[in-house]
Amino acid sequence: MSIEAKNISKTFGSFTALNDVSIQFPSGKLVALLGPSGSGKTTLLRIIAGLEVADKGSVYFEGEHATERSAKDRRVGFVFQHYALFRHMSVFENVAFGLNVKPRETRPSKEEIHERVMKLLKLVQLDWLADRRPSQLSGGQRQRVALARALAVEPKVLLLDEPFGALDAKVRKELRRWLRRLHDEIHVTSIFVTHDVDEALEVADEIVVMNAGRIEQIGTPDRVYEHPANSFVYHFLGNVNLFHTRIHDGQAHFANQTFDVQADSGAALVHARPHDIELSREETGGGWMRACIRYVHAIGPLVRIELIQADNQQIIEAELSRERYAEQRFATGEMVSVRPRQVKVFPAGPAAGDYSI
Amino acid sequence: MSSSQKSNVLPGFGLSLGFTIFYLSLVVLIPLSAVFIKTATLSWAEFWETVTTPRVIQSYKLSFGASALSALINGLFGFIVSWVLVRYRFPGKKIIDAIVDLPFALPTAVAGIALTAVYSKNGWIGSLIEPLGIKVAFTRLGVLLALTFIGLPFVVRTIQPVLEDLEIEFEEAAASLGASRWQTIRKIIFPAVFPALLTGVAMSFARALGEYGSVVFISGNMPMKTEITPLLIITKLEQYDTAGATAIAVVMLVSSFSLLLLINLLQAWRARR
Repeated sequence: MSIEAKNISKTFGSFTALNDVSIQFPSGKLVALLGPSGSGKTTLLRIIAGLEVADKGSVYFEGEHATERSAKDRRVGFVFQHYALFRHMSVFENVAFGLNVKPRETRPSKEEIHERVMKLLKLVQLDWLADRRPSQLSGGQRQRVALARALAVEPKVLLLDEPFGALDAKVRKELRRWLRRLHDEIHVTSIFVTHDVDEALEVADEIVVMNAGRIEQIGTPDRVYEHPANSFVYHFLGNVNLFHTRIHDGQAHFANQTFDVQADSGAALVHARPHDIELSREETGGGWMRACIRYVHAIGPLVRIELIQADNQQIIEAELSRERYAEQRFATGEMVSVRPRQVKVFPAGPAAGDYSI
Repeated sequence: MSSSQKSNVLPGFGLSLGFTIFYLSLVVLIPLSAVFIKTATLSWAEFWETVTTPRVIQSYKLSFGASALSALINGLFGFIVSWVLVRYRFPGKKIIDAIVDLPFALPTAVAGIALTAVYSKNGWIGSLIEPLGIKVAFTRLGVLLALTFIGLPFVVRTIQPVLEDLEIEFEEAAASLGASRWQTIRKIIFPAVFPALLTGVAMSFARALGEYGSVVFISGNMPMKTEITPLLIITKLEQYDTAGATAIAVVMLVSSFSLLLLINLLQAWRARR
């Protein structure tokens, strides 16, 4: 089912959680709402679920006005960060809950409920734990039960609020891949909230990057990563090296290259990822800057090198593959030439690097 | 030798258990055993006769009946009061929260006098409801009222922390699964709160059984009608019939202990299930 939110605004006291947000979620896709804490992503999800009421704006399900519908009538499956499993019920009873509370006319028979619950528990690979209490399960298992419970009522939309946020790193990775496979199987329109960039990039069909109650960019993971719409998105998706330059007549010059910028004049910021920074002992001149190596961190798959630019004392961070590092053996204190291989240039504005996670 | 192997991650069990038993003996068991010892000066026949005279039997009925009923009433309304105090924000909430504790703090005689004044024929409420045929002061209804007044904070104060811990997420989950408000209360909130509610009701019941001060004012103490058991004990004491007083006390003690034990067992059984 497609979902549309139109001109949604929501404030909590003096805090603006959502500021005139409009967005369409296509049917059958797995969409990630990505952003730092306080960006409004969870609020948007809860407004779609009917757990929160927007101050302004409306929600449409399949083109139908749904703003006034209560959470109970929206047929939305909601998965909470901390699972919210009913502690006094077994795993089976938890999953069966949504079916058992249906009005008598539409409630399936006892046998049907049993069959459906066991089928769902099989789907989440937990049928062997049906009689356990939630407290006897691990975090990953609990979240799978919560997912089965949400799916039991055959929701038209599945909404997941930081579903893996409370799990440890390894289980998190396993579970998000599992969610991706599950979604490929059942194709129910799904929206999940996360502040984990890797999670969003790996799992989602589409990413909605949010910041301070607004949407910064919508697009496929590939598109968003390769072509960030602005400095905020660039910053949020990974580590950044910034270089300053100026804009003249809509163009900025940096390292012997010219870039078109969406502004006529003023300051511009050149953004480069650490893994796009090239280091060389031999090269000088055109586009290369001199810098002194301050620190080499050679643990893990990548070697991280911190440098200080010779002319303006700015710090540059570079990441080299182990092989490249082994060839060159850069040492602390050495003067080298650096050059960003690939950059994005945005006009310097208030959005540049003014947030913290 | 073997004792060194039995070391526990939480040392001090022996010491703390010893202290617990010593303390309980000093404060609770020794005084109570005096009740039994004094009673033992009666012969079995005398004891039986004392505790089964019609007037005493009537007082048991009133004491246990009114206490149980007041505990149930408190269970229902205490639940609502704590629900409101936990779930909603409104001006004056802190004041209402403090008012709940008043029956704890007030000397019970004061409560009794106040209730009698308000509910007697000329009182604020009494003068309003007496024409409707409802008499509160000097009737069993008055006893019930006083016991309910005394027991309310026990229920509220036991449920409140449990409700506070019950995250709103559970209700939201139930709602998103299609449960109506009533279904959510019945299937999610109530089972979570039930053990605490049972404890609160049991404590309110126990407190009501032992209540004396407030009841004697409002009940009028009419033999066979509005006499509670604690009153009979006092009456016997005033007549220097100490053994007779302790005999009735023994009956109360044993029966209330059995009831409380039963409630505890019920709770343990529920928790295990």
